[in-house]
Amino acid sequence: MKLITNLTVGHPRKLLKPFLLTVLSNLLNIVPFGLVLRGVYLIFEGLSSPEATLDIRGLWWVCAALGAYMIVIFLGEIPPYRASYRGAYEVAAEGRIHLAEHLRKLPLGFLLGRDPGDLANMMMGDFALLEQGISHIAPQLAGALVAPIIALLGLSFLDWRMALALFMPLPVGVFLLGITAGIMRIKGLRHMRIKIDAANRLQEYLNGIRVVKAYNLVGPRFARLEKAFRDFMKESIRLEAIGGSIILPIIACIRTGLTIMIVTGSYLLLEGTLSPFVFLAFLLVGSRIFDPLTAALINFALLRYFELAGERILALQSEPVMRGNANPPEEGDITFEKVTFHYHSKEEPALRNISLQVPRGSLTALVGPSGSGKSTLLKLIPRFYDPQEGQILLGGKKLAHMEPEGLLRKVSMVFQEVYLFQDTLGNNIRFGKEGASQKEVEEAARKACCHDFIMKLPQGYDTPVGEGGCTLSGGEKQRISIARAFLKNAPIVLLDEATASLDPENELEVQRAIDTLIEGRTVVVVAHRLKTIRRADTIVVLENGEMVEQGTHEELLKRDGRYKDLWNIQQQSAGWSLAS
Amino acid sequence: MKNEKGLSRLLEIAGERKGLLLLSGVLATVSAAFFLVPYLAAYNVLAELLKYWKDPRNLEGAILLKWGFYAFLGLLGGLFTLFLSTMASHTAAFRILYGLRVRLAEHVGKLHLGYLTSTSTGAVKKTLEQNVEKIELFIAHQIPDFVNVVATVAILFFIMFSMNFWMALATIGAVILGFLIQSSMMFGTRANTMMKAYYDSLERINASAIQYVRGMSAVKIFGRTVFSFRKFHRDIQEYSDMVTRFTDQFQTGFVLFRTVLVSLLAFVLPVGVLLLSRDPHNVALGLTVIFFLILAPGASAPLYKIMYLSATMRDINEGVSRIDAIFRQPPVKEPENPRKPSRYDVTFEKVSFSYNAPETSTRIAALSEVSFSAPQGAVTALVGPSGSGKSTAANLIPRFWDVDQGAIRIGGVDIRDMATEDLMDTVSFVFQDTFLFYDSLYENIRVGRPEATPEEVYAAAKAAQCHDFISRLPKGYDTPIGQGGVYLSGGEEQRVSVARAILKNAPVLVLDEATAFADPENEHHMQQALKELIRNKTVIVIAHRLHSIREARNIVVLSEGKVAEEGSHEELLRREGLYKKMWEIYSDTAAWSFRKKERVA
Repeated sequence: MKLITNLTVGHPRKLLKPFLLTVLSNLLNIVPFGLVLRGVYLIFEGLSSPEATLDIRGLWWVCAALGAYMIVIFLGEIPPYRASYRGAYEVAAEGRIHLAEHLRKLPLGFLLGRDPGDLANMMMGDFALLEQGISHIAPQLAGALVAPIIALLGLSFLDWRMALALFMPLPVGVFLLGITAGIMRIKGLRHMRIKIDAANRLQEYLNGIRVVKAYNLVGPRFARLEKAFRDFMKESIRLEAIGGSIILPIIACIRTGLTIMIVTGSYLLLEGTLSPFVFLAFLLVGSRIFDPLTAALINFALLRYFELAGERILALQSEPVMRGNANPPEEGDITFEKVTFHYHSKEEPALRNISLQVPRGSLTALVGPSGSGKSTLLKLIPRFYDPQEGQILLGGKKLAHMEPEGLLRKVSMVFQEVYLFQDTLGNNIRFGKEGASQKEVEEAARKACCHDFIMKLPQGYDTPVGEGGCTLSGGEKQRISIARAFLKNAPIVLLDEATASLDPENELEVQRAIDTLIEGRTVVVVAHRLKTIRRADTIVVLENGEMVEQGTHEELLKRDGRYKDLWNIQQQSAGWSLAS
Repeated sequence: MKNEKGLSRLLEIAGERKGLLLLSGVLATVSAAFFLVPYLAAYNVLAELLKYWKDPRNLEGAILLKWGFYAFLGLLGGLFTLFLSTMASHTAAFRILYGLRVRLAEHVGKLHLGYLTSTSTGAVKKTLEQNVEKIELFIAHQIPDFVNVVATVAILFFIMFSMNFWMALATIGAVILGFLIQSSMMFGTRANTMMKAYYDSLERINASAIQYVRGMSAVKIFGRTVFSFRKFHRDIQEYSDMVTRFTDQFQTGFVLFRTVLVSLLAFVLPVGVLLLSRDPHNVALGLTVIFFLILAPGASAPLYKIMYLSATMRDINEGVSRIDAIFRQPPVKEPENPRKPSRYDVTFEKVSFSYNAPETSTRIAALSEVSFSAPQGAVTALVGPSGSGKSTAANLIPRFWDVDQGAIRIGGVDIRDMATEDLMDTVSFVFQDTFLFYDSLYENIRVGRPEATPEEVYAAAKAAQCHDFISRLPKGYDTPIGQGGVYLSGGEEQRVSVARAILKNAPVLVLDEATAFADPENEHHMQQALKELIRNKTVIVIAHRLHSIREARNIVVLSEGKVAEEGSHEELLRREGLYKKMWEIYSDTAAWSFRKKERVA
């Protein structure tokens, strides 16, 4: 049942219709079997003694009926075909839409923490697996299981003793399958562990290949990788051997039914309590019936593989979405009230009991060593995450009650990572404001100091940018994101000072753009170089997730605390130069 | 057959001989023969039954029992040989996978460092992960299935034809008819355009999904998720409509195919009846007809198993060609008579270089006729605007790529004449992207010189300013990196990689002035660490902040791939050229601070 739920991503009823129709079409297939039986009977009657005559006419009728019945089979196969394929694509399409809708409501923090390639693969690849599982494998499996059951029922009406003999070993086989499942699971888990180990070794080897080569470690590292691969190979073969030596005796057991039936039948015939015709029918069915069952066992394993895809999707769909639907106020102070936040419940909090007031229109800087929580604090303002304790207010209203996207419209962010869409540069800037005119776009670009470099490009604002925007330099991308912020014209600006890796001339342009952007807005900035924030209205010093100091540059220097230390170290560093 | 290409190429890549697969095939054939015994038994029992049809009590029970027993033996024999056959094919399959992985990894180890950027190793990883999984499914399951099916069908038809030519013909004809119907639907011109439309649609929705997911955070920030969602929704719907049309298109063909295969007897029986009508008293013929009635339905079942083979084959060919693309990357050329330098000055002699993969970037930072020399034991700085080629020049020294023209020499020896191992022993490089192995911190530092003593490792860690933070960790130097251990901050990772380089103690050092992660304290530590590292070495540094290289022996100013100026800081300032201009800009930016003008009330 869990398998079906996973396979249909929570809509098991979608499988009902294809399943029923498959059963129905299987039932239709009994008739030709009866016809063949009739044919065999006629041949037997006609040849059983030299004086009997073969009913050729009757046989031709059987042939004609068989031929005609093909039309019935043809018509009977159409509904399950349509149901299973359409069902599969419906599940996939609805599932994809559902997942896409869910994805858009997840906290930004969650999205940024996941590999987007992974999510995209889930959206496409995993659903494709489900499509295949539902459309091909599941109906086949249903058919394979149903056919023997129908046969069993039909045959027990003919002669229950023979049916019993034929199917007697079946429960034994199922029982054996049940008790060996535990062994297989343990072995499977072990196999999975070794597989993951090999994948990790490979990842390490590939990601670290430059280091590996630079330190002449291709030999030893490669040996380790090779060993992981070798173990994986051995374990795979072992798993196969164990699996085979479990499953094949079970198949042997189940199939012994034919032998038992022949033996039983012989006795009953000799006893005279079984008509040869019934025996004949059993022989014909008995020699065929176990093929679909064996196929079902194999299909079942394949289905388990598809099921994993459904499980992954369901896990993602159980991620909690952002709540809140109030409209955020136009402007106002940002207030942190005893805010505690951790990324994972088991971990140490990233922020502890933070209380902070960011007045409207002020410039607040967050400083501290890496891991102090300054970037985390910044990310709580646009609700990348919601804090577990305490609350954050904007203009006196709780952020947690606000509609997440409405809140985001009030906030501009200029961070290190800039995502550019596969679109023209102009449209990428226009993302800041839907329907902005070309004039507005150029105006924003001028203010963000990108107009000049854009005009130098062959197609100007119509120049397309590649996937992820890889054709612009870091500084240029940053200026595009500042241009977006100008168009967006949000009252709150969040900045992550990330100019360290820029070249001087790029940095100069970015600085100019930022100067214009922050004017008249509420600004919170994460700073690495203290020099750049010495004129901030408030400097907040964080360490290990706690606020240790707060004040203006001058106040903090006088206080002789953590800030002073940091300042001194940085003054020293600034004078440093490489020389030997 | 077309699929031979993909498979045999796979065998070739993996260095696997066909022996095991052949053995598997032979065993599968034997197994298939065994599996026919129960049918034979059923047939013989029927024959017995026919003799005593009117009075079954005269049956010879011993004969029936004998055949029942044979059926059981045949079953056991069949299963046992099937087991051996699948073991052989699975062993072959896993060996192929092993060979594939090992050879690919080995090859990657020989490539130019320049190829092995994060993007391309990402692509390699993706190729390995996505394609190998499919290849695994294919060779571990479908090859064995395929072998088994072919063997079963071959034996079946052999027996049929030896029993009765015409009825065998009817059976095989019906099977072929079924497959013809199927393939006429799948491979006609109309089907081809359909197929193309399907793949186009698939590609579109794939691209759409990637854009939707990748852009989600950005879209969210601008409050446009509804818009973006609607677009994706439309694409999903379109795709769904497309595949529905697609299945409608194939409906008749597929259902007809199934109908024919399910109704094989409707083809066989008439032939049998026709034969019987000419010779109505031939008991042997009657039994043959019955034999076919038992056996013929078995001719279609195995074929189902390989029905989807062609679709997977396409995937496999695609996968193999992707893997081949990696193998086609030329490895670094090793010199025939490697030389070792005895001095460690680095000279560039009219070095020209251009990236040969223009699709990766529209701005190709190339070098043309760059000449300069970096004296032994001194710091040489490469500066210039972004795109000037300074990083490219530095990357050429450890042979990330090979120069197009000119030469780079260490102590007068062309680096292409040095064995890669010797070159790597001579040159250390410290870049912004650091990498730590999933291993203990101790092992991660020891990477620098595997034969180093523990004391040397600790000394290097101390010199690189790592000792303090490592000692504070619960398990100290034995703390593993990553899951179950610690995740270091960017700055700490950088210092560990500096410790490695200190331990390695190579005479030439290529350095990317790495300050991206620097918070004040980290930056301070990093500077201390670098000071230790560069002592007495030939240092070539890619500089971003001019301040830190003002004491360098030689500053090489690059602009658009050419050397614009060269000299000491003072000389260059006096020259009033590009360097002077950069220095002025640099001084401006260094003094900048966030500042707000008074708000207009």
